[in-house]
Amino acid sequence: MSSNHKRLSMGGRIDREQPVEFTFDGRKLIGYRGDTLASALLANGVTLVGRSFKYHRPRGIFSAGPEEPNALVTLATAGRRQPNLPATTLELADGMVAESQNRWPSLAFDVQSANGLLAPFLSAGFYYKTFMGPTRRAWMFYEHFIRKAAGLGRADTDLDSDRYDISHAFADVAIIGGGPAGLSAARAAAAAGARVALIEQDFLLGGQLLAEPSDSAAAAWLRQAEAELESSEPVTLMKRTTAFGIYDGNVIGLVEQCDPGNPLLAGEARQTFTMLRVRSIVFATGAIERPMVFSNNDRPGVMLASAARTYLNRFAVLPGKKIIVGTGNDGAWRAAFDLADAGAEVTIADVRAAPPTALATEAGRLGVMVRVATRVVDVRRGHAVRRATLNGPDGQSEAACDLVCVSGGWSPTVHLTSHLGVKPEYRDDIGGFVPGAFAADRFGAGSMMGIYSTTDAIEDGHRAGTAAASFCGKSAPVPAPSKLDLGETATVPFREIPSLGRGKAFVDFQMDVTTGDIELAHREGYESVEHLKRYTTLGMGTEQGKTSNFAALAAMAALRNATIPETGATTFRPPYTPVAIGALAGRAIGHHFKPIRRTPMHDWHMANGAEMLEVGLWMRPYFYRQSGLDVNDAYVAEMRNVRQAAGLMDISTLGKIDVQGPDAAIFLDRIYANGFAKLPVGRARYGVMLRDDGIVFDDGTTTRLAENRFFMTTSTAKAADVLSRLEFLLDTAWPDLRVTVTSVSDEWAAMSVAGPKSRAILSAAFPALDVSDAALAHMGLLESEWQGRALRILRLSYSGERAYEIYVGATAGQQLWSRLLEAGGPLDLKPYGVEALGALRVEKGHVAGPEIDGRTTLDDLGLGRMAGKRAGFVGDLLRRRPAFQAPDRQRLVGLECIEEGKRLRGGAILFLPGEKPYGHGRGRVTSVTFSPERGHYVGLALLAGDVASEGSEVVAVYPMKAETVRARIVSPVFLDPQGERLHG
Amino acid sequence: MASPDFSLSVADCPLIQVEGWDGTLGQFEKSLSTSLDTKLPASVGETVRQKSLLVIRVAPRRLWLALDDGAQAWSLAVDPDLGCSVSLGEGRVRFSMAGAGVAGVISKCIAVDWCAPAAAPGRAVLTSLHHVPVLFLRTGETRCELIVPRSFSQSLSDWIADVAG
Repeated sequence: MSSNHKRLSMGGRIDREQPVEFTFDGRKLIGYRGDTLASALLANGVTLVGRSFKYHRPRGIFSAGPEEPNALVTLATAGRRQPNLPATTLELADGMVAESQNRWPSLAFDVQSANGLLAPFLSAGFYYKTFMGPTRRAWMFYEHFIRKAAGLGRADTDLDSDRYDISHAFADVAIIGGGPAGLSAARAAAAAGARVALIEQDFLLGGQLLAEPSDSAAAAWLRQAEAELESSEPVTLMKRTTAFGIYDGNVIGLVEQCDPGNPLLAGEARQTFTMLRVRSIVFATGAIERPMVFSNNDRPGVMLASAARTYLNRFAVLPGKKIIVGTGNDGAWRAAFDLADAGAEVTIADVRAAPPTALATEAGRLGVMVRVATRVVDVRRGHAVRRATLNGPDGQSEAACDLVCVSGGWSPTVHLTSHLGVKPEYRDDIGGFVPGAFAADRFGAGSMMGIYSTTDAIEDGHRAGTAAASFCGKSAPVPAPSKLDLGETATVPFREIPSLGRGKAFVDFQMDVTTGDIELAHREGYESVEHLKRYTTLGMGTEQGKTSNFAALAAMAALRNATIPETGATTFRPPYTPVAIGALAGRAIGHHFKPIRRTPMHDWHMANGAEMLEVGLWMRPYFYRQSGLDVNDAYVAEMRNVRQAAGLMDISTLGKIDVQGPDAAIFLDRIYANGFAKLPVGRARYGVMLRDDGIVFDDGTTTRLAENRFFMTTSTAKAADVLSRLEFLLDTAWPDLRVTVTSVSDEWAAMSVAGPKSRAILSAAFPALDVSDAALAHMGLLESEWQGRALRILRLSYSGERAYEIYVGATAGQQLWSRLLEAGGPLDLKPYGVEALGALRVEKGHVAGPEIDGRTTLDDLGLGRMAGKRAGFVGDLLRRRPAFQAPDRQRLVGLECIEEGKRLRGGAILFLPGEKPYGHGRGRVTSVTFSPERGHYVGLALLAGDVASEGSEVVAVYPMKAETVRARIVSPVFLDPQGERLHG
Repeated sequence: MASPDFSLSVADCPLIQVEGWDGTLGQFEKSLSTSLDTKLPASVGETVRQKSLLVIRVAPRRLWLALDDGAQAWSLAVDPDLGCSVSLGEGRVRFSMAGAGVAGVISKCIAVDWCAPAAAPGRAVLTSLHHVPVLFLRTGETRCELIVPRSFSQSLSDWIADVAG
């Protein structure tokens, strides 16, 4: 158990009545409710918390927020591993198990810290220079070792046992950031009558006000603001919620963490990804304090001044007793004063020659030593700072210390505004980037706009909140904001001039990028900030440049002898902080991964031995176990039954589109390559659609139900694409046509009865209907009713046998299916699945998805005659282009296996006999089946036209199984080329 | 499924879609209004109830005529020079949801603002649930319906039950 020896006896915003037990690297420690993992570690005197990415240097806690570059840990609570979490953002919870990362065998003794000795060889871009040879594949060898040596935490490979959720939320005004500006904006917008969502990543509202003493005027102001907002009905307070991205249409991506203090109920989400849609946004995202660049500035014990003040006043932790505060602005002096007031011995090293007199006076009152025109240039000791080297007017000197607080100024947090494409603009008066011009529905407030005084930030937030509400048409009178004056003086910018001692000076702690790396990048010509970023990996990782960006820009600007605006800034992209993949997936995992479509006969299939297959989103019978032990046995048996008796197939998955209107026939003439205008009522026709580029898009049959009404079917796979395409053409190309298209795919249950006994079966099933050839010829339509529902019978064939497609209202689908089986049972009617369906169509030489693959034309598929000399249809012009007429263009052929005991396989590559089987060959096998009629495997293939003469041989090579088989080129129609069985 | 805060029931949804041609829309609407003996909803998302029939304007020229489940079916003749109709009732299923928790459940299903005027009682919104197109109908303060494609209905009701569970 821990002593919490750095915890003050009073103060802070922790609940001392609620101790919290946790472990870090196996060591049991105690914190309190209200702590973060970082504050609890500091309270327990833990200063070494991690190892750096490349050099494995010891690292401590540097900040108190999401900008933390060093203190990344893995949470290994309850068997789950979540790597790379900043300890500064982890709300302490009972039983939390945290582990340090990137070290072996222990954090204190890490073997790979020897990498530091190799530093001269590990500079920026060393991968590219060092691991290029000796062979092209050498990188594959090196990569394993490099990745093992460098890196962050390890993700778990087990299934994530946590539950995540996704929700949709709405508001008039979103206010991102719960600091003084955000709170003021929320109060104003709510008072104006707007529905407000206030988003705060922390588990407490307040932002920088939380760094003020808990008994201060700031705390009182905060309590009042929070109470007011909590009781305000139109305000939704979203704590523990990070806005990680801003997207078009004012959609804000949020991730909300569950409250770790409350045990998760069964089924409750650990994180919720919320898409918040709003009418206007106020960005009150605050500012992030910058580090100072000096030798060994990454050592444990070097900390941002604002963080030290936060640990002191929010968490009642005094992180050091002998403290040096290195700064160049007024803000850090307030940290120095509070630390001194809490009992620490504090020295301020200010780079300025003449800091404000009032500050110097206050320092004197509190016993704080002030050294002007002095900067920190180095710190000593590895695992915890013990001494610092200062360089001042009297030269260099060393001072004992156990904490070095640094403040290189402040950078407005412009990440989210950058997501919207708003370029940051440099402001010389504050020495930082602020967002450029906003759109009319977006506003900035507070320190993210470079307004660093709390008084001014509150005023600014009030203005922004009022304006944002007004944009939404909410303009009720808004009372003046309640004032808060913390007596801050202006933050005066200073230009960072890296000052170096003997060790590395880090610009990007997380990616181990030093000033030396930036100099090297400059020497090697990577002067653009975008090149600098990629060459050095600056600003990557979880930190995303929050603390590193400005110092790097300043350094590159100095090297280029340019201004910072001339040097430019990199582009911030979502996410602002890392987001768990699980949160993005939400509930769409497991059986909810995607929605499943079930046909009206689904339950029958499941109850009657169907092995189901997912086809697109549809569940379709693959084969029926009653037909065979496995799919290979079953589909052949099912095929035989169709050829010899009759089979029943569920074809409800076909796309079905109702086409109506006075111009429907003209429309079909334009979208199909073959004509439909002259199709008589009551007749069906096979049609093929082309894309604009002349490639075949989809095929199907369309039946004329009435003069102005057609019933179109599409392939299962292309149903949505075809409908979308038709709607697009009607809306854009031909808005003058009076035509409407409507998906009726779900409206109809559809089944096909195929086989020589199919007509007899229909007669038995529908004794009142005349299904004779005279009444229902091939490609004919019969409309009727069955049990009060519309019934359509189309005489169409996909298998080559006499066949009928029967459509009935979906609610009666299963009944009719059963009726057909009952009526057809004596005639050996049996159901068959999609494997048999596919095999039947291959025997008949019908093309389907494997042939209509987005690369083939009508002529390639042997369907060119369908279009004939027609013109004016989609794809007409480009189908005639010369490239499509090339003699070696691949054309549809049939193949039959001519080697005993061997088989063809779909996907096999075709070569001429004697050709070396290398490259893409002369073509490919698209579809294969065992043909019971032929007694061997047959297939369809696309083969270069200049070698595709019937009777010739080709060699089909299937590298996946190292198979080679000889095949003969034949007609793609393996069965009944005269079509006599259609009428059998 | 049912709980104190939320209930979900699934039923058939007799439905006819009618659509008028551009250029003769006024005549079409006048004729339809006469046939239905009610005024038509003026803008997309508005609904008008006429006894057991709910008239929903789902697009500028397209309306859905939804009958209450169990109501007697009827036929509608549309002059083909003015517009057309197609039955969609076999292919749609109606989810009826009610209870104090319904707004919370809906927020995890569809991107519709329960508090917005566009989703007020009597309003309809075409949206998507788990990538599937659905029609949201707000039927009361704590009640709503979703009209969903039949083939997806099992998957979607499982989703809703999971959210509400």
